[in-house]
Amino acid sequence: MKRILVVEDEKALCLLYGEELGRAGYEVTTAYDADAALQELQDKDFDLIITDIRMPGKNGIELITQIMGLRKDIPIIINSAYQSYKEDFMTWAADAYVVKSSSLDELKQKIRELIGE
Amino acid sequence: MIEKFSFLTSDFEKDVPKEMMLLSIISQSFFQPFSLEDNLLVILTALTSGSGVGFNRAMLFLRDGDRLRGQIWLGPRTPEEAGYIWDVLATPGIGYVEIIEHNRALVSKNEDTLSRRIKSVAFSMVDESCALVPAKPACLKEIYLVRDAANEALVDRKFLELIQVDEFLCLPLIARDEVFGEIILDNAFTRVPIGPGDVKLASLCGLIASNYLYSATLHRRLLDAEKMAAMGEMAMFVTHQLRNPLVTIGGFTDQLLQPEASEEKRERNLRIIRDEIQRLEKIVYQLGHFLKVSLKEPVYFDVGPVIAGVLRSPEVLDRSQGYTLNVKIEECLPQVLCDPTSFGEILRNLLDNAFEATPPGGTVSVRAYRKNSSSFVLSVRDSGRGISNPDKERLFQPFFTTKEKGMGLGLPFIKRVMDTCGGQIEVQSRPGKGARFRLVFQSRGGEEAP
Repeated sequence: MKRILVVEDEKALCLLYGEELGRAGYEVTTAYDADAALQELQDKDFDLIITDIRMPGKNGIELITQIMGLRKDIPIIINSAYQSYKEDFMTWAADAYVVKSSSLDELKQKIRELIGE
Repeated sequence: MIEKFSFLTSDFEKDVPKEMMLLSIISQSFFQPFSLEDNLLVILTALTSGSGVGFNRAMLFLRDGDRLRGQIWLGPRTPEEAGYIWDVLATPGIGYVEIIEHNRALVSKNEDTLSRRIKSVAFSMVDESCALVPAKPACLKEIYLVRDAANEALVDRKFLELIQVDEFLCLPLIARDEVFGEIILDNAFTRVPIGPGDVKLASLCGLIASNYLYSATLHRRLLDAEKMAAMGEMAMFVTHQLRNPLVTIGGFTDQLLQPEASEEKRERNLRIIRDEIQRLEKIVYQLGHFLKVSLKEPVYFDVGPVIAGVLRSPEVLDRSQGYTLNVKIEECLPQVLCDPTSFGEILRNLLDNAFEATPPGGTVSVRAYRKNSSSFVLSVRDSGRGISNPDKERLFQPFFTTKEKGMGLGLPFIKRVMDTCGGQIEVQSRPGKGARFRLVFQSRGGEEAP
């Protein structure tokens, strides 16, 4: 089973992503901030990371920069409420950018493209 | 030995050249905090006053898109009025400030005649009127001295009807190759011919006016750009704030529609949805409150009961659970200048921020005391995470927040209130060392601290 790390400060969204991506056949771990995410990355192996941008403490971009120093091979999807950042995601070394939506179809589609079912 | 001089020289020797006097009048007025209209009036004053160039009348057109639109017409309406005005202006000891005051009064007096007439006219700079005076000099960026206007085919008849003189000077206002307007000068009453010396001096004046208009336009564009940037930032922030709860509501609603959802899960989802709707309501309320709230006029009020009311309120008592709340309020507090409701909101906001920044078990201190006979201090201190220097610079910007679910509108609100009542805000903080917000208000009465 493919493992996904979801980094999201909104606890309700973490719950939703955990359940829905779990239903789609992935094993999901959630972290509420960048430091917790870095800790999870030290403890476990992941096939994909989904991260928000705006979070208390380190933001998602800072987190990606730190991940790049640890593990360059893990695909990263930025999942943010900011539509306007979408054009910049490549410069942040992410593999995809999905604007947050109540339908998780686009997010699931990107996950399939990057790591398969 | 050091000798000091003032920027504002008003008394020149008699042999000072006219050009020097002219530059003095204009540059000294730009030194003053005059409005755009007043400064334009100064330029027209310099062109018409005896100590300046000395034309009888000056008419100003400003560019409005592709048109030259009439703005100000300075000058007497009749030869009698002209004689009277020149007597006043020739009075010994009269300075440029008095002349400007006089001319401001003259413009408003003429509001029903010259000014109204000029404000109703505009000349296109793009179509066929561009081939006629007064648009032509601005279009070609050239100074025109028109003589025998009645027989000059290049003069717009409508304009001739307005100005009713045979000789006039058209002085386009150009800076960085951009046309900002045009000044028309004439000697309608003295009928003195306009000579090459007058043209040279007037053109010097025109150059200064153009550069002034250029910098004023740049300043306005900068303000517009700042406003647009602030609106863009606000739109982005609001989008983010609204999208998160909407995504949550949508996602959990979809789960409710799944046939396999258990009763327990349905109930949980409904609770989440209800909480997110309440959050949306709060966001919309805060935003509306910040954007629409019009601050009331500050008044002197007894500050003691308002502070006590906030500190005893159920929200503050509830919020302070698990913290040490130190309160030190001086007795016999003075009357403070602020809107009392806004003052209460300020204290609530400061306390809310302090509790939010401090981990449970920490300390929040409130102090209220007279600083001196005319000022009062309200201070809220916490033992929380503190504020970094980059964050300190942005604290009072709307929508800047370090809180997980904050809107970033509390401190901008406090700043607005403090600006309205002439107070000051001091912030002291270092990362990890807590923060202190010290608000200084104007006050009266109360007893001096021993």
